[in-house]
Amino acid sequence: MTVVERLCAPTRDVLLARGSSGPRDHDIVSARLASQLAARLTDSLGADRRRHRLDAFAAELGPARFDAPFAWSARAARRPIGSSVAHDVAEGAMPDALSAAASEIERLCDRAQRGLTRRGALGGWLADAPRAARALCAVEASTWAERLLRLVEPTHDGSIAVGIADAWFDVPGTTITLQGRLDAALRPAAGAHLGLLRVRDGLPGARAADGLVVDALVAALAGRCPTRMVGAWPDAGLCLVVDFDDDAARRAARLLLACADALAAPSAAPSPLEAMAA
Amino acid sequence: MTPATPAATDLLGALRGTPALRPHVDRGLAGGLRAWLEDGLFERLGARAAAPIVRVTPRLLLDDPPVTGAATARLRGALLVQLLRLRVAGLEPASPFEDAVAALGASGRDAELVALLCDLDSDDRSRLAAEVAAHHTVLATSLPSLPARWSPRCGVRYAIPLAGGAVVLRGDVDLALGASGGSRACVCLVDLTTSTLGSASDATLAYLALLETLRTGEQPLRVAALSTADGATVVREVTSELLADAVELVLEAVARSAAA
Repeated sequence: MTVVERLCAPTRDVLLARGSSGPRDHDIVSARLASQLAARLTDSLGADRRRHRLDAFAAELGPARFDAPFAWSARAARRPIGSSVAHDVAEGAMPDALSAAASEIERLCDRAQRGLTRRGALGGWLADAPRAARALCAVEASTWAERLLRLVEPTHDGSIAVGIADAWFDVPGTTITLQGRLDAALRPAAGAHLGLLRVRDGLPGARAADGLVVDALVAALAGRCPTRMVGAWPDAGLCLVVDFDDDAARRAARLLLACADALAAPSAAPSPLEAMAA
Repeated sequence: MTPATPAATDLLGALRGTPALRPHVDRGLAGGLRAWLEDGLFERLGARAAAPIVRVTPRLLLDDPPVTGAATARLRGALLVQLLRLRVAGLEPASPFEDAVAALGASGRDAELVALLCDLDSDDRSRLAAEVAAHHTVLATSLPSLPARWSPRCGVRYAIPLAGGAVVLRGDVDLALGASGGSRACVCLVDLTTSTLGSASDATLAYLALLETLRTGEQPLRVAALSTADGATVVREVTSELLADAVELVLEAVARSAAA
């Protein structure tokens, strides 16, 4: 598994061409690999009835140990809202990102007020938040969306889809869910190979390519198998492109298994929450 | 360009300028600047792949010692940045301090500052509220409203790795306007400060213009600084000379940091 290309401030056409090329002559993620992965994950964590979510962050950094429970904030809300915003603006449904963000927040609040959201959902938090917090969320989300839109510059020819759903795969018979983070799909023409793109903050780390193949594997398991996976770090103006081939799929599976094993193994050092409880 | 008073300056008008007179984007400029930086860093650092990472920030660029004991100044700055964001969202704060505090608390960032704010006694809190209200008045005068079609972005961050990651150019811009990708430069960057503008402003603006050029591959149109202390503004056209100055500043700062 190798990084095919490292692109500095690529234009839309370069991103589209590099992100969706690459050979593909058979199904990369065979049914055998998928079933072996599921069996090994079940061996590692099948007896554990807590819910586990494995993703590219866990593959790159090890199973995350958070010192505080998740809470919504403008920072946490910017991608879910920003994704819808990017989609609406790209589709021409809204004139600009800021208006689209305000409209999406209003829609989420409305759903929450009508009791259509589950407990802890973003809409509930927004509905209860002060006016200033909602306005801040709109700005954060529109800034996030603008970043994605400037990167891929979607047109109406359907070659680039933004604001797509993440890939999710529930391992049968366990409480393990795999998540592949996806922000755009690149397909220059009907029938052409599919490239997938995801955006992250900051700089690509030393194991950035590992995270990319994990996202690609989960996308493949969820039925959207890419030929290439593109990681974009707009803060750095960098994109990494990796081929998703047999080797990459096997490496991604091994990384997920290593995460599961690490979660299953008793930790030497307790997390801050565990330490507080003790 | 010298700082101007708010009465004499329409900041948004100065940033917008005459669209027909905007310069064309020089597609080769970013690559040239990057190559110049890489060569200069190699000359100064050599092949130090295992060297600790040098993080270049505007403060390092100016050889400015870290400010200590300025917690309330940092709080004031953070609250003004939140007020700028609220104004971008089209919210006219009825109570600037309370709205800024609510926004800071909901931001999910600056937990340390939020804790500091909670620890303020009532006197300090009232003093801070008065300061924030005064600064907000200046902000509202200088940036009355921002059309959504200008694609305003807030808190744009930069982290440009160079020399194989041994040097990272970091910075952030409070407000970016205009969309990149056209044939003419049209992105404007605005740096907001609650202190008065000094000689350091030019260097900071040049540095931010360099970061934007390296990040997007297109030079911005203009960079500006706005002081909410007195309403003074500095607006600079982004030229190849300005970017060359920024490259020299970065190389000098890295050499200083490596020698220290």
